[in-house]
Amino acid sequence: MKDQEPREVSASRRAFLRGIPVLTAAAAALPAPALAAHGKHHWAMLVDVRKCIGCQACTVACIQENAVPEGSFRTIVSTYSVKLADGDQPAGTYMLPRLCNHCDEPPCIPVCPVGATFKREDGIVAVDGDRCVGCAYCVQACPYDARFINHATNKADKCTFCAHRVDAGLLPACVETCVGGARIFGDLNDSQGELRRRLDAAKAEVKVLKPEQGTEPRVFYIGLDERFQGKVEGQGTLWQPRKAHG
Amino acid sequence: MTPDIVETVNVAREIAWLPWAVQYFFLIGLSYGAWLVSLPGLVFRRPGWEGISRLALLAALVCGLTAPVALLADLHQPGRFWHFYAYFTPTSWMSWGAFFIPVYLTGLILYAWLAFRPALARHAEEGGKLAGLARRLAYGGHESRKALVAAALLTFVGAALVALYTGVEVMLVRARPLWHTPLLPVQFFVTAVAGGLGLALVFNRALPGGGDPAATRRMAIGLALTQLVALLVGVVWLALGMSGMSPEHAQALAQVAPSANWKVSAVWAVLATVATLALAVWRPGSGLLIGLLALHSAWMMRWTIFIGGQEVPKTGAGYYSYQLPLGPEGLMGIVGTAGLWIFLFVVLTTLLPLDRIGQAQPARG
Repeated sequence: MKDQEPREVSASRRAFLRGIPVLTAAAAALPAPALAAHGKHHWAMLVDVRKCIGCQACTVACIQENAVPEGSFRTIVSTYSVKLADGDQPAGTYMLPRLCNHCDEPPCIPVCPVGATFKREDGIVAVDGDRCVGCAYCVQACPYDARFINHATNKADKCTFCAHRVDAGLLPACVETCVGGARIFGDLNDSQGELRRRLDAAKAEVKVLKPEQGTEPRVFYIGLDERFQGKVEGQGTLWQPRKAHG
Repeated sequence: MTPDIVETVNVAREIAWLPWAVQYFFLIGLSYGAWLVSLPGLVFRRPGWEGISRLALLAALVCGLTAPVALLADLHQPGRFWHFYAYFTPTSWMSWGAFFIPVYLTGLILYAWLAFRPALARHAEEGGKLAGLARRLAYGGHESRKALVAAALLTFVGAALVALYTGVEVMLVRARPLWHTPLLPVQFFVTAVAGGLGLALVFNRALPGGGDPAATRRMAIGLALTQLVALLVGVVWLALGMSGMSPEHAQALAQVAPSANWKVSAVWAVLATVATLALAVWRPGSGLLIGLLALHSAWMMRWTIFIGGQEVPKTGAGYYSYQLPLGPEGLMGIVGTAGLWIFLFVVLTTLLPLDRIGQAQPARG
């Protein structure tokens, strides 16, 4: 079974085993751009919406892994009840996992007034917490509502693709925990990797969120209904975690 | 009718630019707007403008000194404000703004000092409150025309840059269609000038005898013009959105049109502008009322744009609902800014009483 594991992860795992002694030092230095100096990888994610069961295991795993404060989310599975015209039931459920899109043209980076948000050479968009002033300009600029102000740190926060895990040769927590195998993480530069193979195989079906924004997202979707590609037109959710958070 | 799509689970992103930001954009707008009103009397020496221009300068000063505090408070890491200067980022208009604000404030403080020096000296001579401090600040009380004009030029550069950056910074946010409209900086500017005129009118009314009626009428004409321009810009905005000529405006309109709250806000804004215009034209003597109306419109416009704009989800369905928190992140931020404004007003008018500022004064050697 080991042979079937994605190549990029195996390669990273080997690097991890070799580099155990420097692991803690590397984690401490995060998110210094120097970590990605090799530029060998271009990390990305493919979400196969058809396989998502909306269990929110990814949401919980992310919160656990990244100590996301109550009421805030780096990733969530947006869930919608959709009226069916020709089905046996009056409505069906549509699930759409959302997270930072780690865009290749990220609108959050140029607006940052202190250069705290940056793109690593491996494609991960990160925030330098030591530099961030919490002005929230990046929060405004992100077209995907992926950023927020973390009330525990008072800094801009977002999904990092679990950069600390990826650097250690592990998968992001949300990918590792995904029950339906809907999230595939890998290296776009690896032509033999699972991510690239899946993307190539599903070419015509692959979509991104809000393509008209020109942000070149690096989170791809299969099975993405056009009605959910941009701002969703419908009844908004009444559940607001902020109320509980205060 | 049941909608086709009902969101059952999603995150509601909270407001990230707090009421502090509204206060900053309001006050900095009032400041440069009022500063413009100081020019006819103090720099161009237009007859009959001197008193009202001095009052406008006081308004510019009080608002200009309060505004950066509100901006600082809007940062979630205010202690790191120095990062703006340590890590200049030329791609960010906010980063540029951190340099434009000191240019404007340096010019404004210098210009105000040069303009108020003779009055400060007179206040000291006549044994007014804090006479000793007034004497020291007057530093001889000479009127230096060339220095005043030079300071006005510096302030003009700063004011223009501040007006530009505050508009463009918001306009560039493509992720928020309501903000990403080319007319937004124009709307900010027009309402800022109207607010500046409004505050000068309120100060004028506070003078003994209700202020100079001729000055009130002149200001009313200016205010009527700003309201006319504001209405025209509003019409163009709507026309661009409804006709589809401008995709940005069409998208912005489509996002807010279904909302009852937004419809009420739009009607309110139009009625307030029309009422101010009508009163300014037909009742130019109602300086206090039109002044307060203009201030109200300038604040409401910014509140609606910033807080209302952040209530529109970028990806989720419907609208987020915002309730003003009572703590520092909400109501106390507004009250606190107002408190600082009143404190500065009291300090400055103790040093130089309002009636002394509002008087037309002879030049000193």
